[in-house]
Amino acid sequence: MTEDFFDEEDFQGKIDRNIIKRIFQFAIPYRNWFFAFICFTLLTTLMDSIQVILNKFLIDQAILTGSKSEAVRIVRYYGLTILVQAVSVFGFVYIAGMIGERIWYDLRQKMFTHLQKLSLSYFSVTPVGWIMSRVNSDSYRISDLVTWGLVDSSFAIVNILVSLGFMLAINWQMALIVLAITPIMIVTAWQFRLRILKEYRNVRRLNSKVTGSYNENISGIRVIKGLLREQENLREFNELTSPMFQSAYRAARLNALFLPCIQILSAVALASIILLSQKKIDSGMITIGGIQAFINYVTSMLWPVQDLARVYGEMQQSIASGERIFTLLDTEPVIRDSADAYEPESIAGDIEFDHVSFYYDDGDGTPVLEDFSLKVRQGEVIALVGSTGGGKSTIVNLLCRFYEPKKGVIRINGNDYKTYKMESIQSRIGMVLQVPHLFSGTIRENLQYGNLNASDDQLHEAAKAAGADEFIQRLPNGYDEQVGENGNLLSVGQKQLISLARAILANPELFIMDEATSSVDTITENLIQKGMEQLMKGRTSFIIAHRLSTIKRADRIIVIEDGRIIEEGTHNGLLKQKGKYYHLYTQQFRQEKEKDYALQL
Amino acid sequence: MKSSEKIIDYDLTSARSKRKLVNLWYCMSGYRVRYLFAILSQGLSTVCKTSVYLLLSWFIDNWLILKIRTFPIAVIAAGLLLLAVLEGMFSYFANSTANYTAERIALRIRNNLFNHIQRLSFAYHAKVDTGDLIQRSTSDVDAIRRFFSEEAIGIGRILFLFIINFTAIYRIHPTLAFSTLIIVPLVFLVAVGFFRNISKKYDAYQNQDAVISSLLQENLTGVRVVKAFARQEFEIRKYEQENWKKYQLGKRLLRMEAFFWPSTDLLCGAQMAISFIIGAFFAIDGKISVGNFVAFLSLIIWIIWPIRNMGRIIVHMSRALISFQRVMDIFKEDQEPLDKGSYLPQKDPKGYITLDHVCFAYQNEEEILKDISFSVMPGQVVAIIGSTGSGKSTLMNLLPRFYEYTSGSIKLDEIELNELPRSYLRKHIGIVEQEPFLFSRTIGENIAYGVSEKKSQSEIEEAAKAASIHENILSFKKGYNTMVGERGVTLSGGQKQRIAIARTLLKNPRILIMDDATSSVDADTESDIQSALKNLMRNRTTFIIAHRIQTIQEADLILVMDKGRIIQSGTHQDLINQEGLYQKIFKIQTRIEEELEKEMCCD
Repeated sequence: MTEDFFDEEDFQGKIDRNIIKRIFQFAIPYRNWFFAFICFTLLTTLMDSIQVILNKFLIDQAILTGSKSEAVRIVRYYGLTILVQAVSVFGFVYIAGMIGERIWYDLRQKMFTHLQKLSLSYFSVTPVGWIMSRVNSDSYRISDLVTWGLVDSSFAIVNILVSLGFMLAINWQMALIVLAITPIMIVTAWQFRLRILKEYRNVRRLNSKVTGSYNENISGIRVIKGLLREQENLREFNELTSPMFQSAYRAARLNALFLPCIQILSAVALASIILLSQKKIDSGMITIGGIQAFINYVTSMLWPVQDLARVYGEMQQSIASGERIFTLLDTEPVIRDSADAYEPESIAGDIEFDHVSFYYDDGDGTPVLEDFSLKVRQGEVIALVGSTGGGKSTIVNLLCRFYEPKKGVIRINGNDYKTYKMESIQSRIGMVLQVPHLFSGTIRENLQYGNLNASDDQLHEAAKAAGADEFIQRLPNGYDEQVGENGNLLSVGQKQLISLARAILANPELFIMDEATSSVDTITENLIQKGMEQLMKGRTSFIIAHRLSTIKRADRIIVIEDGRIIEEGTHNGLLKQKGKYYHLYTQQFRQEKEKDYALQL
Repeated sequence: MKSSEKIIDYDLTSARSKRKLVNLWYCMSGYRVRYLFAILSQGLSTVCKTSVYLLLSWFIDNWLILKIRTFPIAVIAAGLLLLAVLEGMFSYFANSTANYTAERIALRIRNNLFNHIQRLSFAYHAKVDTGDLIQRSTSDVDAIRRFFSEEAIGIGRILFLFIINFTAIYRIHPTLAFSTLIIVPLVFLVAVGFFRNISKKYDAYQNQDAVISSLLQENLTGVRVVKAFARQEFEIRKYEQENWKKYQLGKRLLRMEAFFWPSTDLLCGAQMAISFIIGAFFAIDGKISVGNFVAFLSLIIWIIWPIRNMGRIIVHMSRALISFQRVMDIFKEDQEPLDKGSYLPQKDPKGYITLDHVCFAYQNEEEILKDISFSVMPGQVVAIIGSTGSGKSTLMNLLPRFYEYTSGSIKLDEIELNELPRSYLRKHIGIVEQEPFLFSRTIGENIAYGVSEKKSQSEIEEAAKAASIHENILSFKKGYNTMVGERGVTLSGGQKQRIAIARTLLKNPRILIMDDATSSVDADTESDIQSALKNLMRNRTTFIIAHRIQTIQEADLILVMDKGRIIQSGTHQDLINQEGLYQKIFKIQTRIEEELEKEMCCD
């Protein structure tokens, strides 16, 4: 996938039959309803045409003959068509709209469900915004196409055909003139549409840049003021808004030109009919009412032609949307269980990395881990240390089977972990991330994420064990306090305590933690340490460690640099080596102590 | 200044009437006559449309029925075409002009807002919510744009249609004209009521849309947690619940729509039927001609159906006015003048700074800085040390006049600070932040961000070298053209810091403020940054906010701050021999080193 692939306004412009077929497959479950609303649509447009004919009768048979009773009779019929039309309008608006909502719902659900199956590697290369607009807006375009697009186009086509039919019945020569002009109108309208859409796409693209620009200008205000960039920024901003104005204005001008052009075309048809009418009337080939009906049909032909052009223009966009949705739905998870994968009783046991190599597919192929071997005994606490980018997170990612080794084997309890079901590994791992992620909702709901069936007692116990209970109790709503979007109403320290409690509640067999580097206050820090101790007790644990106390408590320290183990052993042993670990340790020691004293100040 | 006058073609901060409509009028400055012409042209277009029907009526009566034919029929056909072309021209002119105005006004508001926001004081930015500000700048501005491009002109069109066609029918027969008004007010009321009602329901639907959207967003950003707890099924159920709720709300909305359209169809249809029968009777009784009746059949359509749309337009208009108010509220805030100052120095400052009994408080709040006095010679280094909340950063905010000191005096080269233009101060003061902010553009552009004149690539590289980041940048595939941010590389804290240092080096300020520049950096890269900082400080008056004594031992002056006051000052040598906080800190720090040594040998 190239960078351009994620371009929001990526647009092929060609119509692929296969994709149309697949799009309409989403409608198959509702085919009966489709039949119903198309019938209602047809009925509505038929009534439209009949009303025009009734006007013709009103002139020819009532007014020109001077019969009032006939007039009443015809208007009565007219009233009847209006009643029928009202019912059928209700029918198609309701049914088409409902199916549209339903298909939209289906599409969103389908994509969401599919996303849950995809591997982590997919999410690390696919921008969140890209996925969001697939699920939210592309799905809308599809549901709109198969419902309102269908309503409008069937309405338009039938309207044009029925009108032409009636015209042919009234006078075939005049009808031929209209017949000749209609396709020209449709093509003109469609060409306009395409050009207008192109400008609109440009406007949308610029608009999202404008929004980004506002955003950066507000969040970077300190730097902007400090560097005196106001003048220059305004100039740059104007370089976005000016072309946006140009594009929007061009689209508006095309739009303003569009209708008059179609109207003039229909006036040409009208003028031709007038030219012919003299002879026809004189020879009695057409009545006054007939002429009136022609005028009416021709002038109201504008609307279906316009609709048709619009639907056809938008169809291209919807197909592009369909294409993007299908690329998402067709993506297979990279990591899958093999057919004979089984659910083990437990995954507690020795863990072994056996000559594991790994590289990320989206990178340039340089290995992140190379020939990495490590044996960990059941219950051992391993501290992973080393500078950023050395490969610590990759080890954890592989262990969780978010990724699988490119070479070598990872064994749990002596078996290649690929023989186990993925879910059986992941559901037994307790994980605390460096940047703790909470979901919006209450604290209780977030804790329950660890164990959906946990009782209130278990919940409180876990929170106590993690040292989170105290601050939760102090909140106005206690465990029912809302944490806000992504948990943003809580501090980083509090989020970490909750994510610890969540992991404790899950009662995992394997504990993995990525310690936070960002500073929290000493009291919270101590609480976090206690929570960790709770979790490490008796469990095999992998800690990406930054704090000295954590590192010192580990059974074994692994120093990783450039994807390899460069030092390994206990704290004291490593210090004596005076190598990389010694260097890291002394620096960390000073930093932590200095922080302690800064707080005393 | 000149280019800014062009970009901001009308200063909206001067539109400060309490009345919304007056402000709207200000906003239109320069386009008012044009817009008036647009609306007028809309009227002319309607006149042409109505004339077509009247011409047809005349044609039927005289040509077809009475057979009075004094000139070739081609003249009538040509007349029809001419009217259609005129109608098209007027309609084109009206719509393109209205849209020109709308887009111009939108452009004007966007540029004005952008500029205004970046010139508002820190006090404003501290209290305002970014999301809300962006919402106002984008969707509210768009609502105003639509007001001019669709709604105002749309109302004009409907009114013209109504008045002109009504007049035309009135000329045919007054009673007939009034017969068309029987149900029209009812349709109008029903439409306004409906659109007002449905817009509330629509809000609920939109809110639910936001709910499922953020549910998805959280699921995607928390994908590791979902996977780590194997909660996929749970997530799917949670999403399904909200998704289903949206479907239900959508259905509710649809039911309303599905009732509204046919019921107003019925009303309009009934109106048509009544008019038809009256018109037909009139024609039979000879009160109107057959041609008139044919014209009447078409004209009435243009009276009745547009009324139905009026409800929607009116509701949208009232919303647009609310949006307008929200945007204008931003303009009510005062800008901080950049170039205003009673004294404009001709030369760069030397960097001699004195503070004399300076106090500072945020509006009506307790004093944060109390009685601060000290002075710095050009090129000297001043270090400020103290706990969080002691006032170090606030003090530094006063120098570039991000905030104004409330009493006392600060002088730069003997000139009172608030007599100097802010732009002058900020041009000559460089700031290295604790957590540097980079912009989503290339690394090269980020380094050159702080200088207005064009810098050559070699100058940029020179700065990067001095900031010891050059090698790192070259290791990226695209080098200096590597994008920073979401679509580019993720930089570590240390790399960002050094790019920010390079940016400041290139700016080459006389006075330098460094706010704890090494605190958020890996221990590993700290030494790199130290050497970069040394290069930066050379020959500049420098203020360092620090919490580590090693970094400030060589400072010419050390200020120890506590609770907004300077409690100790002097050189390192002075202070360690003085009883007080600094000595305490120093002792602790020495103890740390001793402890560390002990750790190493005895553990």
